[in-house]
Amino acid sequence: MTASSNFVTDEFVKSHDDNKFHTLVRSNRPQWTMTMPSLLPEELVRYARQIGPGVLTVEGQEKLKNSAALISRAGGMGGPAALALVMAGVGKVIIAHGGRLVSPDLNRQVLGSERVLGEPRACHFAEYLRSMNRFVTVEAVDHEPDDAEAIALARRVNIVLSCAPTFGERLRLNGAAVRAGVPLIDAAQWGMMGTLLAVDPGRTACLQCIYPAAPEFEEIFPVVGAISASMGSLAALQAIKILSGAGCPSFGRLWAIDGYRGVSRQLQLERNPNCPCCGDASVPSARRCSVPGAEPC
Amino acid sequence: MLNVQIVFMGHRYDAAQSVPDRLCLPDGATVDDALKAITGQLSGDNRISSNCLVAVSGMHVGTLGDHRTMILKDGDELLLLAPVAGG
Repeated sequence: MTASSNFVTDEFVKSHDDNKFHTLVRSNRPQWTMTMPSLLPEELVRYARQIGPGVLTVEGQEKLKNSAALISRAGGMGGPAALALVMAGVGKVIIAHGGRLVSPDLNRQVLGSERVLGEPRACHFAEYLRSMNRFVTVEAVDHEPDDAEAIALARRVNIVLSCAPTFGERLRLNGAAVRAGVPLIDAAQWGMMGTLLAVDPGRTACLQCIYPAAPEFEEIFPVVGAISASMGSLAALQAIKILSGAGCPSFGRLWAIDGYRGVSRQLQLERNPNCPCCGDASVPSARRCSVPGAEPC
Repeated sequence: MLNVQIVFMGHRYDAAQSVPDRLCLPDGATVDDALKAITGQLSGDNRISSNCLVAVSGMHVGTLGDHRTMILKDGDELLLLAPVAGG
């Protein structure tokens, strides 16, 4: 196999043909500082179009391989987000999603299909994700995690993507990311619009800084799949940038996209030092997240 | 007098037709004055949630129910973002 892209040369792939893996430091959570495994030549071919100018470096791609992400849930937004992370080469992707696939889900839940209607979602979604990239490990949790499990899962990963349909779940995932000291990407949608928030716990505003109390929101809401996929993909892009060190993550900003009218805005947020979730009294400084290379641009 | 542009986004954007695009306010008007002028024009099902985020020219200043006191400038944009959570 050869890399046909201008971004990764054939010579570069050959130079990695030895495939000498370094010893990994055993840890529950992958560490950015550990010795990273080299990419397989086949992986360099697979990711050839995303390694080069304006995208990822080889080192960034290796960081992705050595990273883990939690996505809860994996429906309209979380499904496309999980798919993008798997295809980009994030080493481990954990999806959490309860329930069975029903017909109205298929206007947006891209990991489902007519074939698995009525079946539990998580295992089938995971099977589809595995079929898209053999170099990635996909783990399925067949329910939405409670507080304790959310924290335990967050401690096993480098980033949490919250794509849940209620503020209760989103605030739970926000709290879990803050407790675990890992970045959070929160995506939400209604109709033809969506919002995106990137949180660097202890440094930038968390979800509870801006919503001290959970606003009311209907669990069954109108939505067009195209905005779900857009928001999920943008959430994944944030995660890829944070994990690989490429580009500029949008920490501390809330991005609102109104697809109905074709309008978008970014709000500059201020962290609440008295926030009951991420405030100075709630999160010891030692536990605060510090994402390498994720300083604001 | 100062002119302030109003942008409404978020939950039930479809029902926010009665939110004005622009407000003309006296000099020295505050965010609170603008919000009162807007909410005064709405009623019933069109009422805006107190959790609605408020931003002035891109800077988040709080929610409709709890926000910073701030004097508006001519040309400011007042953004109201009704919370969304769909997944």
